[in-house]
Amino acid sequence: MERWHTHVLREKIDPSSMLIQGNRACALGALDAGVRFFAGYPITPSSEIMEAMAVELPKVGGVFLQMEDEIASICACIGGSLAGQLAMTATSGPGFSLMQEAIGYAIMVEAPLLIVDVMRAGPSTGRPTAPSQGDVMQARWGTHGDHPAVVLAASNVADMYRLTMAAVRFAQRFRTPVTLLADEVVGHMRESFAPELIDRYRLTSGDFDFSPSYIHPELVREVHPPHVLGSEAHPHVTGLIHDETGFPTNDPQKSEKFLRELYDKVGNHRDELCLYDVKNEGKGRVCIVAYGSCARSARAAWKLAEKEGLQVEVLHLYTLFPLPVEIIQKVARRVEFMLIPELNLGQYAREVRKMAENWTTVISMGKIDGTLITPREILDRVTELVGKYESV
Amino acid sequence: MSEVLDIEQFLHTERLPHIWCPGCGNGIVTGAFLRAVLDLGLVREKTVVVGGIGCSSRAVGYIDLGTVHSIHGRALAFATGIKMARPDFTVVVLTGDGDGAAIGGNHFIHACRRNIDITCILFNNQTYGMTGGQVSPTMDPGDRGTTAPYGSIEPSFDLCRLAEAAGASFVARGIAANIRPLERLIKQGIQHKGFSFIEAVVPCPTEYGKRNPPAGVIAMLDDTKARSISVTAAAKMTPDELRDKIVTGILYEDDEAPEFQSAYAAIVERAQAGAAEAPARPKQPAAPRKPRKTAPERPPARNGEAADASGLPLEGGE
Repeated sequence: MERWHTHVLREKIDPSSMLIQGNRACALGALDAGVRFFAGYPITPSSEIMEAMAVELPKVGGVFLQMEDEIASICACIGGSLAGQLAMTATSGPGFSLMQEAIGYAIMVEAPLLIVDVMRAGPSTGRPTAPSQGDVMQARWGTHGDHPAVVLAASNVADMYRLTMAAVRFAQRFRTPVTLLADEVVGHMRESFAPELIDRYRLTSGDFDFSPSYIHPELVREVHPPHVLGSEAHPHVTGLIHDETGFPTNDPQKSEKFLRELYDKVGNHRDELCLYDVKNEGKGRVCIVAYGSCARSARAAWKLAEKEGLQVEVLHLYTLFPLPVEIIQKVARRVEFMLIPELNLGQYAREVRKMAENWTTVISMGKIDGTLITPREILDRVTELVGKYESV
Repeated sequence: MSEVLDIEQFLHTERLPHIWCPGCGNGIVTGAFLRAVLDLGLVREKTVVVGGIGCSSRAVGYIDLGTVHSIHGRALAFATGIKMARPDFTVVVLTGDGDGAAIGGNHFIHACRRNIDITCILFNNQTYGMTGGQVSPTMDPGDRGTTAPYGSIEPSFDLCRLAEAAGASFVARGIAANIRPLERLIKQGIQHKGFSFIEAVVPCPTEYGKRNPPAGVIAMLDDTKARSISVTAAAKMTPDELRDKIVTGILYEDDEAPEFQSAYAAIVERAQAGAAEAPARPKQPAAPRKPRKTAPERPPARNGEAADASGLPLEGGE
């Protein structure tokens, strides 16, 4: 049984048989990655992350704040970040919507930050305890203006730990807010997992060395000089379009240069940012492209299909944005169908279609009734597609 | 003269002239704040000024300290994060009546309630100057704004009473027309440990004055001066006599109220000593709040001796 305090888990239970909830694994990952500042506001289904931080942060001398709303939470995090702390908040759809203006500010002032959104069925209050992947496009385009976004998606408890760490690393190195999406079922489910076993879960392009310092020693070259309050530079920080000095500018050339660099620092580094896993590579005529809880069903569908004598490829995406263009186009060139099961009405399928429609047929498989997509449902759709093709 | 040169070290003079209109009171309050910084000998690297959005908050763009020009209404939330991340910083928020009391009203009352050691200077010009003179929550009923062409029908906030009721442990009001007392209030506010709220009444001749009498900056300054009255004098007046008056000075002060950052530091100490799992301490009854120094609309809680320390010279003092 999982105990309430994460430290109890770590000290008293055999790590190879640790049973832990997704949300708590996320808190554990954040602490292990060096996060020492949390400001949040309670919301189902993410509150356990906040509760774990309330227990653990004081023990390591970190800052824990329960703010008056989600807007205040993210603003306090940006304040903490500007003052040199690795900051984090966790929320769900309605709170994530409230945070959007400030997320744009964090992108603009290049404040590293981790935002965890444990998605619940929306819109509005929706169904707070039902899983959903309805915030995918909000995570990409929620704040106004053209901006870059780094968005990761966790599919199980191990992901909640290691992708939290990856998100922190990306936030530091790229100096930008990073959003980690989890659906309710990933946040609330309990699985056996231990940080010590992390090596078993390595990703295709991922090794997760992270710097414990606030300013990563290897910032990507497009990042502007970090403005840290308390440093000798006593900087000026503003959400107005500014140049390298930090002061606002109305100069068209400088404005464009600044915004292009913001964009490029993410877009130019897709090879590093795009984490994914390809299963059953190059086999079968259909590739299931999935993320979050649906990726688990997709993997199970592949096993099930194998038993039934059918080959299916699975592309499990851990990074949704920046768009993993290269791998999607590579797979698109070799399969006849790409099937995208997701707990929304095809938000990510539209993105995949943009990238892949020249080479393959992209089929969206959306579900919005608040239940999971089962492996059998996916396999039935695959069989239908293959059968359709054969009958033509 | 030398004082002017002295505060220049805290100004980005290359960013001047500023964007404020002729006759605006914001420069007066900014100057008073910088003289307070100078007098208190604050360390540049450890002094952070946070603004929101609006005319008042633009001050942070000219001040050469650590400055954050944040988003509309959220300056106090940013400041809370900064103060908690770096308790050694002196954190000051410059905000306006729209930024601080309308869109930022929720953060305002909660920052007061936490009694976190931040100084909030609110430039009250009773209107949204930057967007063109719309109704603000401190505009007097009947006054005109571009969104109340027939006169505002909303009652206005008394922000000092709001701050005090919400839990701020230092509450003061000054007017741009009396610079030295304002400067002293800011200085005392920064020195105070806990949440300090200083309302600075400033004229906005461009957007407020052109629609509401008295027109013109001199008339506006004279008017606030004529209507301002010290807490000491206010304590002896009836609510009727106090109508339309601007009560200035320290309206509330409590040096013993628990401060948030220190309380959190004690939690860290307890957690690190392994006390997290210990049963919660029996609930302590909350200490009664210190009575008001004056109660302009109510009988004074304490008379005479309580008010004398805050009585500031108002007219022609300096």
